[in-house]
Amino acid sequence: MMKLYDYILSPSCYKVRLMAALTGVKLDLRAVDFHPGLEHRGPELLALNPAGSIPILEDGDLLLTESSAMLVYLAAKAAPGWLAGSDAEEAARVQQWLSFSGRLTASLGGARLHEMLLRPGDIGVLQSQGIAALRELELGLVEQAERGKRFLAADRPTVADIACFPYVALAPDGGVSLDPYPAIRLWSRALRSLKGFIEMPGIHRLHELKPEPQLEAGGA
Amino acid sequence: MTVGPMLDEWYPVGIFGQLDEAGRKTMLMDEPIVVARDGNGDAKVTDSSGRILPVRVRYGHVWTSLGEPKKELFAIPEADQPGRRFVDVGVVRVRCSPLRAVENFLDIAHFPFVHTDILGAEPHTEVQAYKVEIREDVDEVWATQVQFYQPQAAKSASGGITTQYMYRVAGPTSTVLYKTCPPRPSEWDVITLFVQPLAEDLCDVWPWMALFDDDTPMTDLIHFQQTIFLQDRSILENQVPRLLPLDPGMEMPTRADLTSVAYRRWLKRHNYTYGAQLVAQ
Amino acid sequence: MPSGTASSWVPVALSSDLPSGTVMPARIPAGPLALWRSQSGHVAASADRCPHRGMSLSHGFVRGETLSCIYHGWSYGQAGNCLRIPAHPGLTPPEAIRTVTHPVAEADGVIWIAVGEPAGTPPALAGLVPLRSLAAFAGIAAIEAAAGTRANAAGLLEAEDIRLLLSSAREGETLIHVLVEADASPAARIAAARAAEGLRRKAEDFQKKGAAR
Repeated sequence: MMKLYDYILSPSCYKVRLMAALTGVKLDLRAVDFHPGLEHRGPELLALNPAGSIPILEDGDLLLTESSAMLVYLAAKAAPGWLAGSDAEEAARVQQWLSFSGRLTASLGGARLHEMLLRPGDIGVLQSQGIAALRELELGLVEQAERGKRFLAADRPTVADIACFPYVALAPDGGVSLDPYPAIRLWSRALRSLKGFIEMPGIHRLHELKPEPQLEAGGA
Repeated sequence: MTVGPMLDEWYPVGIFGQLDEAGRKTMLMDEPIVVARDGNGDAKVTDSSGRILPVRVRYGHVWTSLGEPKKELFAIPEADQPGRRFVDVGVVRVRCSPLRAVENFLDIAHFPFVHTDILGAEPHTEVQAYKVEIREDVDEVWATQVQFYQPQAAKSASGGITTQYMYRVAGPTSTVLYKTCPPRPSEWDVITLFVQPLAEDLCDVWPWMALFDDDTPMTDLIHFQQTIFLQDRSILENQVPRLLPLDPGMEMPTRADLTSVAYRRWLKRHNYTYGAQLVAQ
Repeated sequence: MPSGTASSWVPVALSSDLPSGTVMPARIPAGPLALWRSQSGHVAASADRCPHRGMSLSHGFVRGETLSCIYHGWSYGQAGNCLRIPAHPGLTPPEAIRTVTHPVAEADGVIWIAVGEPAGTPPALAGLVPLRSLAAFAGIAAIEAAAGTRANAAGLLEAEDIRLLLSSAREGETLIHVLVEADASPAARIAAARAAEGLRRKAEDFQKKGAAR
């Protein structure tokens, strides 16, 4: 079984857990004490990833330290429909947003770590770079809607959507509002409605997907 | 704004085990302070004028006060009980009133909607009657005979159980809960929320636990509690007003909210109003 | 509204951005709103605050014909009355528990909120259709300066290459709805969506320079 060095509050680790859940892959989760223990900077984890970041994915001889590569690996093994098809434009769009997702991590992710876990950073700069990235994503989704496509690269979700979704959905954790982005709201809802979708802390259940339960007065 | 009687209370300002001589620069009720270890390895807290503040090291954390505490730091006898594991969950900053953070911790009715499939799940939403009192001898708010159906009450729980709870407000921003301990039915697990008020609308939250659980790895225990608290955080940052309204009329409680009602009454009685809103605005 | 009249219709969102069974945040001069559309398609606007604990209702969820708060699941009807308190399944919520609601009109693909008691219906868009909404950290004056022309009393701004419907969100912030001809080609629509980004950049630049003076 693939082994994921995982932190429950890390949006990058969540990308991999989410992709695995959506494609039906079982992961062996190894919890890393990122906060408060800083275990990712300890000798055992640095031996696997000298960059000192998580997630880390191990599968036999294969050792991955970049979350986008992990998404591609999971999809290629279990559900190739999540990868780009043979269309050149679609392939390019998938790569475009996979690369772009790094900017979300640096800006919105940095703001979140600063505001929530007291990590250092220039919060004003992180937040304004985050807003700039959200605006690009919003326009990208508006244009896709004009092309009749609901997701970033196609009319079906791909690894590009999973790479971008977590840091966007958790932007408010870093003090960046999601109120002014209607296209992002619809896209996020479409992803959260997918069969097999799982949450992470800070992303609530879409309770409307379940019908209202019958009243049960007088005790459980 | 003057801080009032809350000035003389104890507040958590750091995890003792993580302190070094360089120290941790932080805030306490709008006042910059430094929390550090001195040459002897003891905790030392100073304010911006260099004044040395009173210090206690208990429950994994360093405690201090900007004023003159009239009472010793509250007791948690379970902290000295053999066989328990003590968990420093780590700090989480929240843009909300420190009093709102405490009030949310005292609430069970939100479990099915905010901690879905962990601490609660529809259709098990009903809050049964429970007892609330202000214990005059210790001057604490207590809620007892609280129970709730939980799909996964603790890391050590397998499957759903009806969990028993007791809640205790031990200081204006310090609260302790006692809940069913799945591996040891005769004991209570202890889970606390220690809140450091940075400003009236900003706080650092330090959860801490004293559990009977010999099997679950420490990191899993930390992550379970971080999961729960981070689910609450997005609620706390979206309540309006940010300050806790102490006057009736601004928010509407029901029978399920009796702990919150008692907490607000207790705050008002002591003039603990740092982080509170007194007149409906 | 740019005209500053006491009673008016405020365009707060596009119909296409609020599908059935969803809720979104919106803003009028009186404050933030939870704007929601029931399963059957009925649009309603409530103050964005649950009367129980002050939680923002736009973070909530829509089931059937009710809006529920994410915090404790309290449900409200279109008239703002509380219908259900899950902690007390047998209880009929007292009449006193209700949210403040605002009249809503939906026309030409735009959702309008009545502020005060406006006479008549929202202004017609005359052959134009809405394309997208975007928020700018700029007042209406800065947007007018960027576009090189003024908005009319209804908030409609028609420049050579772009048509906008403007709604003042709060001091120094404007919600811009981009409009296009009903028969615009897909390429023209995408061009208009992009052009709005440039206009926003320019307007925010004006706003910053203005604030610096």
